[in-house]
Amino acid sequence: MIKKLLSKQETKHQLKSSHEYSQASFTWVISLTLTVILLLNSFDFTGGTIKPWVFTAFAVYALFTIIQIIITLLIRRDLRSQGEIRRSTRILGYIQLLSIVTGNLFTVTFGFNLIKKQKPPEYTIAVYMLLTQLFVIAVSALNLFKPYVSNTFLPAMATLLIMAIIQLVALILVARYVKTNYAHPRMIWLAFPIILTAVTGNIFALVLGINLLAKIRKNGNPAMTRWGDVWVKLTANQTAMSGLFFVVFLFCLSVSSLFTFDYSIAIDNNYSAILQPPSLAYPFGTDNFGRDLFSRIVFGARISLIVGFASTAIPVIIGGVLGAISGYYGRHTDNIIMRLLDVLYAIPGILLAIAIIAAFGANTVNLILALSVGAIPTYARTMRANVLLVSTFEYVDAARAFGSSNFSIIFKHIVPNSLAPMIVKSTLTIGAAVISTSSLSYLGLGVEPHIPEWGNILKIGSTYLETHSYLAIYPGLAIIALVLSFNFLGDGLRDALDPKLD
Amino acid sequence: MKKSSLLLLVLSLVIVLAGCNVTTKDDAQQNQQEPSDTAADTSAVNIELLGMSSGESDINIIRDQLTKNGFNVKLNLQPDYGSYKAQQDAGNYDVALSSWTTVTGNPDYAVRSLFKTGGDYSIMSDEEVDKLIDQAATQTPEDAAETYKQLEQRLVTDKAYIAPLYISLKSQAFNKDVLDENSVRLSKSRSLPWEAVDFKDQSKRASQPLILSQSISELTSLDPIKGNDGSINIINTNMNVRLINLTDDDKITSEGSLSYNHAIGEGNSEYYFILRDDINFAKITNKKAEDSGERVGADDVIFSMNRAKDKNSVPDHRTYTLHEHINTVEAVTDMSVLENTKVSGSGDSVKNALEAGLDTKITSLVNDKNQASTKDGKYQVIKLTTTEPFPQVLNYLAHQSAGIVSKKQVESINTYDVEKFDVNKDIPYGDQNTVTEGDKYNNTLYASGPYILSSKTDYEATFFKNPGYMKGTEHEPKIEQVKMRFIKDADSTLSALRSGEIHLYYGVPETKYDVVKGDSKLKLQTIESNAVSYLLFNTKNRDVATSDDLRRAVLYSINQDEILTYYNNNKIKAYSTVSPIVKTGNELVADPAKVKEFLSAYKASK
Repeated sequence: MIKKLLSKQETKHQLKSSHEYSQASFTWVISLTLTVILLLNSFDFTGGTIKPWVFTAFAVYALFTIIQIIITLLIRRDLRSQGEIRRSTRILGYIQLLSIVTGNLFTVTFGFNLIKKQKPPEYTIAVYMLLTQLFVIAVSALNLFKPYVSNTFLPAMATLLIMAIIQLVALILVARYVKTNYAHPRMIWLAFPIILTAVTGNIFALVLGINLLAKIRKNGNPAMTRWGDVWVKLTANQTAMSGLFFVVFLFCLSVSSLFTFDYSIAIDNNYSAILQPPSLAYPFGTDNFGRDLFSRIVFGARISLIVGFASTAIPVIIGGVLGAISGYYGRHTDNIIMRLLDVLYAIPGILLAIAIIAAFGANTVNLILALSVGAIPTYARTMRANVLLVSTFEYVDAARAFGSSNFSIIFKHIVPNSLAPMIVKSTLTIGAAVISTSSLSYLGLGVEPHIPEWGNILKIGSTYLETHSYLAIYPGLAIIALVLSFNFLGDGLRDALDPKLD
Repeated sequence: MKKSSLLLLVLSLVIVLAGCNVTTKDDAQQNQQEPSDTAADTSAVNIELLGMSSGESDINIIRDQLTKNGFNVKLNLQPDYGSYKAQQDAGNYDVALSSWTTVTGNPDYAVRSLFKTGGDYSIMSDEEVDKLIDQAATQTPEDAAETYKQLEQRLVTDKAYIAPLYISLKSQAFNKDVLDENSVRLSKSRSLPWEAVDFKDQSKRASQPLILSQSISELTSLDPIKGNDGSINIINTNMNVRLINLTDDDKITSEGSLSYNHAIGEGNSEYYFILRDDINFAKITNKKAEDSGERVGADDVIFSMNRAKDKNSVPDHRTYTLHEHINTVEAVTDMSVLENTKVSGSGDSVKNALEAGLDTKITSLVNDKNQASTKDGKYQVIKLTTTEPFPQVLNYLAHQSAGIVSKKQVESINTYDVEKFDVNKDIPYGDQNTVTEGDKYNNTLYASGPYILSSKTDYEATFFKNPGYMKGTEHEPKIEQVKMRFIKDADSTLSALRSGEIHLYYGVPETKYDVVKGDSKLKLQTIESNAVSYLLFNTKNRDVATSDDLRRAVLYSINQDEILTYYNNNKIKAYSTVSPIVKTGNELVADPAKVKEFLSAYKASK
């Protein structure tokens, strides 16, 4: 009956409102793009031959892309004919799970999403947690092709694998026993080991553990907390989640690389392996000193992330406090603080950074300070604007009427409610900080030249752009991917945190 | 999910299986070397390495080699030469990456100012070294080779005052579609002679400029004696003619110089030059070159030589040490002097030697340059004496700082008192502001060479052919106009060359050789140069200053083979700064065992 009543308009709406359908479309487009890139790379245009390995990868990608397109069409048909996705279509998701072998994140996550009809945020987080762990293991395992591995490689890999098994169990249990508003109380025994596995830097594990604990505490209570609400919205946004995935993956890899990668391969010159093209032993090739580019990029992520986070956290805190104070007290306080910050704001950020580094010398700490100082005024302005708005609300008046001190009003009532824009802004500017770090290193003003940092690596690559282009392409891609990830994540967070979009 | 767990199982199985065969770092290193049996002190020795960002690759190789040999290297990287020099003068280093180019092509210059006590660039003092340098200077090349070998033995092997790295190649690339391949020379020491360069299509000589490039746009000074650096060496070489030239492989020749011939008098302290009569000074009027009508003659030579050797002839005299061996310079008017003096090492008279190959023999010697006339046999002859027998003085006379300037013009411009010279008020001859476009422009240059600088901006400098330079001979400049683009960055310069914006790129970096070779319209020329890179040890307030053992430990850590591999064999092994000029046969072989030995000796002595 209902089927007949569905007008064309409604069918369209049905397609639009289905998360699975939009994700399916997104996935096949991305997957097809990757396939085409692989196809183009599998031909050696100068020699007119086919590279067998890349071509095989292309074939596998093409297979999963075709399956993806078929699934998309099936979902479309299901939604049109029945208004929901059939069970038989959902089962096809298991096929897409297999694409984990190819490392195609998009088809895998789509598969996980498709096989489950009701998806509490914990399920999605658990999926990403497991994927992160598996990706880290896979990337670390590439070291097996090297002439030798670091001394801690085997125990570290074993630990990572055990963690992955725990996380797999967790994923299965979460899929079974966690519903949108309910989590089985015994899951509390799962939450703690999961939180423990976060020592590798797998933030997803930490979030999952906390979410589970929170859910168990308020079992049966349908009210949403802000935290829970944010994760519901964020996990539904695939671009934001893939951004978060890459950031967490890099973070996790940076931590694990302490044990699974050998630093000397990235630092020591090896004159017998100068400018080697990519191979299994050197997945991204070697640079002009015979150092493994792959290891260098992995170790470089550490510096990029540390500098990126630190040089964002410092101005957020300093700028936030200054902005809150000047916004709350207003008048002279406001004038003095903001005018002083305006002076700072008038100096171009990168120029200020160059001046600071030229004066105090090039090292990581100075780099962080140099990038931090220039960003303080913008954060102060953002915070001040929020505080001005929030301090007019009734609950602030109420707190004042109760006789709360100014200090407690600012930090208990106003700041927590003005944080959302700051978080969004900082996520978006971490990307800029990563780029600034790399730019300064590129100019020779960052860390010492032999220390692997993406800008340093890119600098060497730029001199070999024509003869050995991979030296510039891989670090360039790494920078692009990290910055893009932060931007996607920032966008997702803005959507999730903005109360107006409710 | 079952599938993914299966997958995981397979993955773990693979890793477990692989684990059985995995070589860890310790395994790998144990296979390589025996564990040391002594419980010696293995703590790393700190060492500070100073260098410029432009030498980043060398610094990295040295850092790597020292680290692998048990040093803890701290880098002190400076962005430019100014800050590098400041750090060096302040003594903030243990070893500094240095380089030296013997622009004169003679071995004495390669060691005298660097290593002799009190030399211009010397920071060391060693009696034995001083003695050997002085001894070699007076010897014939064959005898000197042995002395230089002993000098290297003392300087490098025994005392390790320097640690040699490599000899560089000199390279240039040019557009062979535009330039005539045979006209572009690359010489070991000498700068490119512009007058020889010709277009492939000779009809373009008058209509098209020859476009060169240079990285430095700030010209130190266009007065030849006031500069000796990369900013003006090429320019001044082509703006001023000299008494003598160097061939491509650093032999002395009169070819293309102010003299037809030269001769060394018996005793090796008298030098004779017979002058040409076909070079006039060029001057700039309305930004175009014109013949000033004034001939380049003996009075100008005497004036130029005397001011070159006199420290107080101009403020900021930067080249007088090159000419400190010159004693007197005079014009010979008495024919009997030439007839009665014998040429060194032969029974022939100087007169015969000077006349060799000339169409008209010497009939008279004239004092007034305007009376000189080659076709009538009226010549001017210069006699130059040295303070001691020193045949290598000829190499110094071929250096750009011995360029001939106009006595009349320079005296009329440099009217200031040298002692009270005021930079803000007095404008010396050759000041770059006088040729820079703008309100200070007032080009007073008189050029005796093939080209004259008309004007410059930050972007380029324009030169015109000297209309009165050896007219009708093979040395007459071919191309009317030369432009020199100032491009700071190597990559941009190469792009400019490839796009046809410039015609010739002098000093292509080794890493770009492949790119140049891969471009069908470009031609790459390389030649072994006199430039040597080496590590200089600090001689004050540091452990390296007092401990021979520490210096020698650094010396034997240097592996020149690895450096050569890095540069794709586009560098040559060196043992000291004389290596490119005198083949002494010494070679530095890296020896980790010796490093260990010297390091423990150093630690024991502390």
